[in-house]
Amino acid sequence: MHEMALMGDILDIIMKDAESKGIKQFSRIDLIVGELSNAMPDALTMAFEIYKEQNAQLFTKDASLHIQFEEAISECIFCKTVYKPDFKISICPSCHMPSGKLISGETFQVLSYEGE
Amino acid sequence: MEVKLNTNVLTNNNVAADYNRDLFHKTKTLVINVMSSPGAGKTTLLEETIKKLSKQYRIGVIEGDLATEKDADRIRQLGAKAVQINTHGGCHLDARMVVATLPEFDFEEIDILFIENVGNLVCPSGYDLGQNHKVAVLSVPEGNDKIPKYPQMFMRTELVLLNKVDLLPYLDFDVETAKEDLKGINPESTLLPLSAKTQEGMDSWYSWIDEAYQACLKQ
Ligand SMILES: Nc1nc2c(ncn2[C@@H]2O[C@H](COP(=O)(O)OP(=O)(O)OP(=O)(O)O)[C@@H](O)[C@H]2O)c(=O)[nH]1
Ligand SMILES: [Mg+2]
Ligand SMILES: [Zn+2]
Repeated sequence: MHEMALMGDILDIIMKDAESKGIKQFSRIDLIVGELSNAMPDALTMAFEIYKEQNAQLFTKDASLHIQFEEAISECIFCKTVYKPDFKISICPSCHMPSGKLISGETFQVLSYEGE
Repeated sequence: MEVKLNTNVLTNNNVAADYNRDLFHKTKTLVINVMSSPGAGKTTLLEETIKKLSKQYRIGVIEGDLATEKDADRIRQLGAKAVQINTHGGCHLDARMVVATLPEFDFEEIDILFIENVGNLVCPSGYDLGQNHKVAVLSVPEGNDKIPKYPQMFMRTELVLLNKVDLLPYLDFDVETAKEDLKGINPESTLLPLSAKTQEGMDSWYSWIDEAYQACLKQ
């Protein structure tokens, strides 16, 4: 898996933004991680702890990572049934058509950060 | 101070992917990102494809591997231009790695660029490289459960090359079940059974390339 590299991208995004605001130290980062985003929340948390240890000056002592998990959800374009796709993402459990589309589960965003 | 961002984590990758896409579009290069688990037969498929199509198209290849130039060397032996990317432990190619190889190619002199991704059925599917098409290779010895078990790969590709069908008589892989499973995950995707070793089924793959190339010229 590639959570270390992803955490590098996440820090890059917040550091670029923080520079323009004169923020030098981070106390909190909030992410949303979709079930189908190829990133594992536990591994991201571990990667965050490693970065924090290696770049102590960038973080407050109790700096933390908060992850909001986004479940995979499909919706049938015909009968509008909303369902948990399991491994048959596109098969609607009501009308049995291959007409389901993912409406949630692929998001992978930095929602916000806190710092001074 | 709290700052709201709502920024995609893959923003940096996507900026690089758009840069690639723009260049490929301007130079009318058809770019195909080929992904699979290790050993499914990506390089073998590309070798056979180059042998068959090199009279018709000028073909270039980017080879992604953790280490070594082995796959790029296999392609170079056929006289095609190949650039190796070593990810040094990285489990996928990202668009920035592709950007770094661009100066090595003259895209006015290339019709089709294949990008062979790092052998891995999970991570590569999440990274846009700026390609026109994403193709997955699945091979018969891997077993029937791979399509449902790795939905990300199969929902984000539009073609599945089911390779090594010459081994079907010896293994319990069922092609119809694989087609059903694929429909369940991605009804727009197509499964082409073939063998890079015996050439069975390869003509469908070559026709798919011809169509994709014509579409690329028209866009
Ligand atoms: N029986 C059979 N063997 C094949 C076929 N295609 C490839 N192979 C064999 O499968 C092995 C792996 O093939 P490669 O082409 O190196 O696979 P790859 O996907 O490029 O592997 P990585 O780059 O390491 O991920 C080789 O020993 C090939 O000869 C096929 O259609 N049938
Ligand atoms: Mg290979
Ligand atoms: Zn329905």
